[in-house]
Parts: sequence; structure tokens; C-alpha cells
Amino acid sequence: MDLQLRIAGAAGQGVETTGDLLVEAFAALGLHVFATQTYMSRIRGGVNWFDIRIADAELFSGRRRADLLVALSKEALEWLRGEPARPGVADPGVILFNGSEGPGVTGVLFEQVAKELGGSAIMANTVAAGAVLAALGYEVSGLEELLRDRFARKGEEVVAANLRCVRKGAELGVAAAGRLKAPQPVGAPRGICSGNEAAGLGAATAGVKFVASYPMTPSTGVFTFLASVADEYGILVEQAEDEIAAINMVCGATYAGVPAMTTTSGGGFALMVEGVALAGMLELPAFIFLGQRPGPATGLPTRTAQQDLKFAINAGHGEFAKAILAPGTPQQCYDLTRHGVELAHKYQTPVILMSDQSLADMRKNCTDLDTSYRPISRHIVENPGGDYLRYAVTGSGVSPRALPGGEAFVVLDSDEHTEDGHITEDLEARVRLQDKRMRKLEGIRAEMLSPSWHGPPEAGHVLICWGSTYGPCREAVDRLNAAGQPTAMLHFSQVWPLRAAPIREALGDRRVTCVEGNATGQFASVLREVGVLSDCELILRYDGLPFTGEEIAERVRR
Amino acid sequence: MNKHFFDSDIAWCPGCGDFAILRALDKAIAAAGVDRKKLVLVSGIGQAAKLPHYTQANVFNGLHGRALPAAVGIKLANHELEVVITSGDGDMYGEGGNHFLHNLRRNVGVKAFVHNNQVYGLTKGQASPTSDLGFVTKVQTHGVISPAFNPIALAVVEDCSFVARSFAGDPQHLQEMMAAALQHKGGFALLDILQPCVTFNKVNTYQWYRERVKRVDPSHDPYDRAKALDLAFKWGDEIPIGILYLSKRPSFEEQQVVLRRGRLVGQFAGQ
Repeated sequence: MDLQLRIAGAAGQGVETTGDLLVEAFAALGLHVFATQTYMSRIRGGVNWFDIRIADAELFSGRRRADLLVALSKEALEWLRGEPARPGVADPGVILFNGSEGPGVTGVLFEQVAKELGGSAIMANTVAAGAVLAALGYEVSGLEELLRDRFARKGEEVVAANLRCVRKGAELGVAAAGRLKAPQPVGAPRGICSGNEAAGLGAATAGVKFVASYPMTPSTGVFTFLASVADEYGILVEQAEDEIAAINMVCGATYAGVPAMTTTSGGGFALMVEGVALAGMLELPAFIFLGQRPGPATGLPTRTAQQDLKFAINAGHGEFAKAILAPGTPQQCYDLTRHGVELAHKYQTPVILMSDQSLADMRKNCTDLDTSYRPISRHIVENPGGDYLRYAVTGSGVSPRALPGGEAFVVLDSDEHTEDGHITEDLEARVRLQDKRMRKLEGIRAEMLSPSWHGPPEAGHVLICWGSTYGPCREAVDRLNAAGQPTAMLHFSQVWPLRAAPIREALGDRRVTCVEGNATGQFASVLREVGVLSDCELILRYDGLPFTGEEIAERVRR
Repeated sequence: MNKHFFDSDIAWCPGCGDFAILRALDKAIAAAGVDRKKLVLVSGIGQAAKLPHYTQANVFNGLHGRALPAAVGIKLANHELEVVITSGDGDMYGEGGNHFLHNLRRNVGVKAFVHNNQVYGLTKGQASPTSDLGFVTKVQTHGVISPAFNPIALAVVEDCSFVARSFAGDPQHLQEMMAAALQHKGGFALLDILQPCVTFNKVNTYQWYRERVKRVDPSHDPYDRAKALDLAFKWGDEIPIGILYLSKRPSFEEQQVVLRRGRLVGQFAGQ
């Protein structure tokens, strides 16, 4: 039993504020919640929407058509009620419109009510939240409690004004009640995680002390989250003049012993690429949060895609070890950020964590993430001898790493160098050092995070996915199995390097379909390259919107 | 002295101004009482950027144009380290121009010693941002037509906390300027060093500079920004050398809330 709501309006109308408030209110009721945002690259106007799906069981994906639409603007109403091709509102559905009554439309003058009862149009989101809860037959008392908590600092009058707005919204929303069957609360976790906040918290608790970034959607949320907790965790957050500066500052900070990271997206990452190779050559634990969006070039700045996988795998001139992680849920964003920062230090090489807009802005209930400071191990050697060699050749390829400022000089050079770090054109040394650096890739490969299987072990058809496609694929598999079509999902949260043999053996001769948010099946291509697959079917999407579980299931059946 | 100093040839041409810069740096480090164990020499790419390999220090020899952001990252991670950049005009003012522009604003306490020979050496003789108008090269075959970049004027305009110029042909002056920069506590220090390139710049020779450089008058008040700007615009018949400008504005580190608790690297509190 589930229901999908869509809050839509112009940029600047409070779509996100209303959505956030409702997400918290539903979670407070004990419902499972899953929310995503779709917005335009503008600060005012246009049509943005915030989707909230609620259910009595855990949710992993949204739905295409909404059962209930809250239209804050006329444009939003017209656009989302328009052609069936648009991700609009189901027929019959409930529409609460910030305007006059019409056929199939319940008029609620959110802004007017807010001005009258709250003294400010800003409280329209509170009116809307009250109306939605009432239209679905839920109590508003939980929402009232949230508002009391949220506005307590601003004084009694602000709290009272918000409560008046909620109650009036509920009164007006009752007009639409009884038309939709709403799921019953089941005691779902009240905590809400978003992908970007979870990644940021993972970094802060792992001991990342330095962050340098240039803002770029959809990675900015990680950057601003870290800034918001910087004083608490002791993190120096600096807005770099460009992405090239950001990655080079990160390299400098890691050299001096501080776990450091940068956050970026496609075009910004493209600028960083020389610095990624620098981290590879200098053997520095640079950690990069890469929030993908559709390209090429500026592309669709605020939409979602998984188009930069091969770019990330190959990012950097020359050859060096790197690891690429791709979380599928906010919880994984947290866990894999911590894991990635540690991995970068263990192997002294860059690690990239790939998210995308849909995961960045995804909100979902989750049990509270651990906010306690649990720093990773930097794998540092204290007090090395006077004959210290920064790049001592070892079996694992990992050389003991000391920090500058101690007894031994620590010498790094982006030129090929000898074991002491100094520039060389000794070509035998070149081969020894290149081999040493590449051996680290084998270590990372050997401890590759195992892909996760969901669905019956004997299923004859496997959907392979990576990163943010986890949720929709998982739901699709559940739908297909419920419909008597045995299907399983194999989700990769580490996409590079890969251990091919065990995956190839697990797949056997099953039918395989790769589900990816790009136009060319990049992961399928990587799997072929490393020898996991010979061939496979593809389900691709690259219109800038995330997959839904129902869509994947339909496309499998077709 | 690094063993490579003996093992391998220094990659500079005989007579290069870089030798004088290296000698002056070694003396200035001693004169300023800098502990080499706490010294990090940062460079990008170019002939000047090889200097860190020819002395004893911690070294971060990074990418072309990116010495500044790397140095800033090092300094912010551990502000007890003395972080000195030794790189050329192409590295600092050309490829790294955006970083130069913004680090004048940022005012992190790293010291930039720019070997300014007004030409690209390692790529064999093309114009640099500081090449004079009319300078003919294999690329700028009709002579340079864009006016020279003026790092000193830009630094004064951006209120850089320490702005000085010296000349590789005046080792005593150079050593004094380096020591003053090393002892400067107020943030970013820029020392632009006129450095003859004996191979690719046949115009701006030792002789050419010697005839033009003039030590600033001891009466010059480096805190007088307007006067400093006047000096910054002087180029041609007379080129002023010395401490041209000082600012009392606070450093980046002083203003960072997190750094008030001590070194960032000390706050990690893990393994």
C-alpha cells in the first residue's frame, strides 16, 4: 500500500520547504517515506517539483505519476496536468491548487491564508502541509509538534502563527478527504537521511579535516553540509577559486597529514583531472565526491545521470591505481564515504565516490546515522629513520608514509622519481616505480566490496546496476517476482577495480540486463572489458530524470 | 645538500640566475633561523621549479601552475611548517594566474619566490606573461603585442601583505629580501626575483638589469599604498628593488575559527 504526492510550483515558491516539512511529518507519523526533487537551473520561476512517496513498507524508489498533486502555481498545474508523457498526476487523482476551484481541482488559497493567519506568504508551505495531511485523513498533531520544535527559537508568536496556518490548511484540505486510500503508519524510523548529508556526515566522522571545493550542483550539498558542521567537528572548509585549485589544495593538505576531500560534478571534475593524476603519482590519499549530472558540457545542470563512469575510471593521464565507489542509498553514502577515505589512506591513492542528483537530493527514513567522531587510520609511520625513502619499493606497492615536519625529509615529485622522491630520468627506476604504484591496484581489487544480490538466488534473469539505480532496480525486482517472473538484482557499490572471476561464476549463463542512467551502457562495457560478461541487454535512461521501479519492471516485461 | 646535487647534473644552464637564487636561499634560511626539518619547498614545473631538488628540505614538486594551491593546502593543514614556493614567472603568473590572483586576497602565510626571467626556459624560449612588448620569439615572431603582466602592481592593488622585488645579480640584496620574507608573519609574501636567462632571453641580460635596478630609498614607507603603487608602475629605465609594500591586514590563518584550536593536523586525533 503506497501513495505518491507531488508538490509543484515555481522556483522560490517554497516547494522544497513544503516537501521537507511533509517528509518529516510523515516520518513522525511512522510511515515509510521516499522523496526526490526535480528542479530547474534557475532561482525564480519555472516548474519544480518535490515527490514524496509514502507506504507501510520500506521504499526504495519513486513513482512516475502522483496520486495527489499540490500545485502552488498555475504553470505547475497546467504543465503537470498536460500531456500523458509528462510525469503528472494520475487520473483520478486529487489536486490541491493554490487558486480557484475547478473541475477535478480543490482550490486552497495557500498564500492568501498564510498572509491572513500567519502574516506572511512564507507560511504557505505550512498551510499546504496541513491541507495534504487532512486530505489523506492523517492527524495534524505530529506536524504541529514539529513546527513547535522548529520555530521555538523564533518565539511564541511565530509558533502560534504556524499552528493557525496548519489548522486552517487542514480545514480546507478536508474537502478532498476520502478520495484516496492512504497507507497506515507502521512505526517506521523517524530519522530522515539525504544522500548528500549522509556523505557529508560520513566524511566529518571519518576525520576529514580539510575541504576545498568550487560549488557545483549536485555536489554542493555535501560542501555546505560540511561547512555547517565545520566548527563542531573541526574542519577547515575553503571555497577554492576553481576546481583546479581545489584538488591541488587537497593534495597539499593530505601531504601534510590531514585527511582532505573535494566535492564536484562533471565539468568541475574534468578540470580536476590533472590533479587526480598528481595524487596518483605523488601517492596521496585524495578523496573526491563526484555528483554526476547529465552532460556533455553544462548539460542539464540540475538533473540526474550516470554518465561519467568511464570518465572517472580513466580520469588522469598515465596509469595509476584508483578506486571508485558508487553508493545506492543515503546509508551507503555515509558508509562508503568513511570506507573511501580509509581506502585512500591505506593505498595512498585517489578514491572517487560517485553520486548523482537523484541520490544527492534523495530523502528516506533511516535509523539515525552515528554522528560520533571515529577517525579512520591514516596509515602513517611516525619517526622514520634518517635514510627514509618516501617511495620505498615494497611487495604491496604501498610505501611507508611519513609526514613533513618530522626527523626525515619527505620529498614528492610529480616527475618520475627515485625511491627518495627526487626527479629522475633513470628509466629502470621508472619501471620499478611504475610497477610499484600499479601493484596497489591489485590490493584494492583483492578487497573489492562485494556486489549485493537481491531476489531469489536461482532467478534466471539478473538486473545489474550500480550507484543510485539500486533503489529503482530493487523495487523492479520485487514487482517482477510478485508477478511470477523470477528476477534478481546485482548492485555494485564498488565499480573500480573489479574482481571479475567470482562475479562471472555467480552469473553463470543467466540472462543479464544492465540498468544504467546513461545512453551507452557504460558499466556493461566495463564488465565486458574485464571479462565478467560477453554480452547483455540494456535498459537505459538519460532524459535527466531518475528511473522508477515500475518503469524498469515494465521495460523488463516488454 | 641533497645527494642528487652530487649524483646528477643540475639541469640549469651555466651562468643561469637560478644558481644565485639557490645560494641566496640557502643563506637566507640560515639567516632567518628556519629549521629545515620544518621547511617545505613547493614548486610547479619549469627550470625554476627544480630548485627544491638541489637543497635540503621537504619537497612538494607538483603540477605546472599549481604550486600555490598545493602550498596553501600544506600551510593550512600544518601552519607550523614554513612553506616556501620557488617557481618561475610562467608557473606563477601564466599557468597559475588565477591562483595568484586569489591567493593575494586569501593571504595564507606562504612565501612565493618567483624566478622572473621574462621568458619560458624549459619549453625553449617562448614569451612569458612578463615578457616586454616587442620581445621576439619563435612563437611571437613579430614580437609580443600584449603588455607585460605586472605582478607587483597587482599585489599592491590586492593588498598583499608583503611585496618585494630583488635581482639575482645582487646576491646580498636577494638574500636580505628572502630573509625578510621568511620572517614575515602577516600572511602571503611575494618576492619577484629578476633572473637573467642566459640562453633564451638575450634582451633582459645581467647587464640590462644592472643598468636599471635601483634600491628603494630607505625613506620609503612600505605601508604607504599610493607610493608603493607608484613604485610598482616603474619599469624601463629604472626598476625599483626592495620591500615595496607591506600591509597590516590579518592573515587567513588568524581569521580561521578552526585554526584557533591549533594545527589542523593536530586536531585529527587519530592514528
